[in-house]
Amino acid sequence: MKLLIVEDEVKTAEYLHRGLNEQGYTVDVARTGPDGYALALHHDYDVIVLDVMLPEMDGFAVLRAIRTRKQTPVLMLTARDRVDDRVHGLREGADDYLVKPFSFLELVARLQAVTRRGRSQEPTQLRIGDLEIDLLSRKAYRTGSRLDLTAKEFALLALLARREGQILSKTVIAEQVWDMNFDSNTNVVEVAIKRLRAKVDGPHERKLLHTIRGMGYVLEVRDEEEAP
Amino acid sequence: MTASIARRLAVMFAWASLGVFSLLGFSLQYVLHREFDRHQLSEVNTRLDYVGMMCTRNDSAEKWAGLRAKLDALTPLDGSALFWVIGPDPRFEYGEVPAELRERLRNRTDGTFVLELEGRSMLATARTFPPNGERPEVQIISAVDSTRFRDTLNAFAGALVVLCLAGVAVVAILGHRIAKVGLAPLSSLSQEAQSLSPRDLSQRLRLSPLPRELADLVSSFNGALDRVERAYAQLEGFNADVAHELRTPLANLIGQTQVALAKERTAPELQEVLQSNLEELDRLREIVNDMLFLARADQGETALGRVDTSAAEEVSKTVEFLELLLEEAGVSVRVEGDARTSFERSLFRRAASNLLVNAIEHSERGAEIVVAIAQRESQVHIAVTNVGTPIPEQHLERLFDRFYRVDGARRNSRSNHGLGLSIVKAVAKMHGGSVFAKSTNGCNTVGFTLSDVPAAMGGTGISADPA
Repeated sequence: MKLLIVEDEVKTAEYLHRGLNEQGYTVDVARTGPDGYALALHHDYDVIVLDVMLPEMDGFAVLRAIRTRKQTPVLMLTARDRVDDRVHGLREGADDYLVKPFSFLELVARLQAVTRRGRSQEPTQLRIGDLEIDLLSRKAYRTGSRLDLTAKEFALLALLARREGQILSKTVIAEQVWDMNFDSNTNVVEVAIKRLRAKVDGPHERKLLHTIRGMGYVLEVRDEEEAP
Repeated sequence: MTASIARRLAVMFAWASLGVFSLLGFSLQYVLHREFDRHQLSEVNTRLDYVGMMCTRNDSAEKWAGLRAKLDALTPLDGSALFWVIGPDPRFEYGEVPAELRERLRNRTDGTFVLELEGRSMLATARTFPPNGERPEVQIISAVDSTRFRDTLNAFAGALVVLCLAGVAVVAILGHRIAKVGLAPLSSLSQEAQSLSPRDLSQRLRLSPLPRELADLVSSFNGALDRVERAYAQLEGFNADVAHELRTPLANLIGQTQVALAKERTAPELQEVLQSNLEELDRLREIVNDMLFLARADQGETALGRVDTSAAEEVSKTVEFLELLLEEAGVSVRVEGDARTSFERSLFRRAASNLLVNAIEHSERGAEIVVAIAQRESQVHIAVTNVGTPIPEQHLERLFDRFYRVDGARRNSRSNHGLGLSIVKAVAKMHGGSVFAKSTNGCNTVGFTLSDVPAAMGGTGISADPA
């Protein structure tokens, strides 16, 4: 996946470059609007991360210029959380919008959502180690025996399973499972994970649901020696 | 800038007095004119009556000679009053009858008329007397010079104009002085207002020595000062609170990073530090985001993504989200009533979630939280009630202030930074509503209203009672 970052803030550009590279993207960085525009035209990127506040030519202008020639998905970044900014950006053809300070996990999740649009359908059966999930019948099994999950617990498990190996922040989980798209400042997600973990991992040697402190949760099969 | 009040008043006085004086002058002139006319007429007629009586008595030519001498005596030397007697017999005539008079009286018509004679204007009356003895029928004319009356009248009019103008000038000057004296409290007030310093916000304008008209102005001005002072005090406290709230995580970050770097550390140890740092940073991010949200509401941003929705439905969704917390706390929620209105769902859920979390935090195990939804006129009220320790009146008002905590202590509550209820207020404001809080019979109710009417200005006041 090829990705372009247009960002003048050196530190931001640097950590985005490194972080997204490690997520498997091939990353190019432009420091000014005109540079970003030139790169966007000459290469075929899968997605562009575009800062609004740029020297010489601001993000909106770059977006407008790109949109006259290409339909590459664009995710805008801004430090100003103003509705008119958001509306402005989306009207000019931005595909999504993130306000600084944002969490890196959130950015990754949004980038995946933007690039996944229009892709083929997702599978209806998921298998992670000895955990099996049937998304159609909404049933989950561990080592063949059915797990007794509430609707929300199933939704949570399905979300984690679909993004296997990917860390999901509490905000993303609250948004996807409960449709609460704001920082609720509550520990609802923690409690929910705790309960789900008791049902999914409870009696089993091999743990699948892991907490990444300070970041979020991930569902994956880990090698035994890696476990703390 | 428009002209000063004193000058404007002086000009207005001048115009008013000009009007009054003119009216008086014209009336006087008119009355005098009429009186003069009447006076002249009566003089002419009196003289004619007298002469007529003598004429009637003198019926012979010899007697007529005596009459002539009498008439001569009655005629003043300056010619201001004249007599003529006209008849068919020259023996019984008197005076040198001017041609225009003879012409005029050719038909022997009697009556009063104005006679222009040698540049003088005279009022004259002619009357015919029947024959008596030797004397044939004669017409006697008595005339009085009216020029002197006219001169007097003209002099009087001139004097009136001069007096009137002088009067207007005097009134204008006096009016200016009076206005200045009358407005003296205003200028002393403005001096006082100028002496208000931004350093001492408790200063107010004095009310006592002021006239009633200014007292109203001053008390509303003082009211504005009150509000400024309160807002300023709140802002100062707010800044201190923000600094405090940010200081704790920052201190942790700096401290533990320094400790970590002071010695050689293994990778897991460093990872541990980074994870702990991340937690603190996340807290900072949450605070900053909440503050930005509040700032947007302060700047008058309104909810744009309004959708017509059932409030009870959204409350139920929020309750569903908080279900696990409710279960852990052993608290149940009952939703009463419903109303439909248009609002931005995520903002509504955020407010409802904050109110519910607040209620859960202040509820005992086994308690029930009641969410009452009611439509009152154009407003939808959402009130969350829980059983809890009564909140004193002075705290109720400030419950929605940022970082305000009833117990005064800054508990390091994980679940909110003391901004939860401020966010509820911001959400209400973005929907043209307000917030309310009351504490009665051991039940604490906190809630907000939403308005269908787009953002009414000043709709952010806190009332102690929603009713």
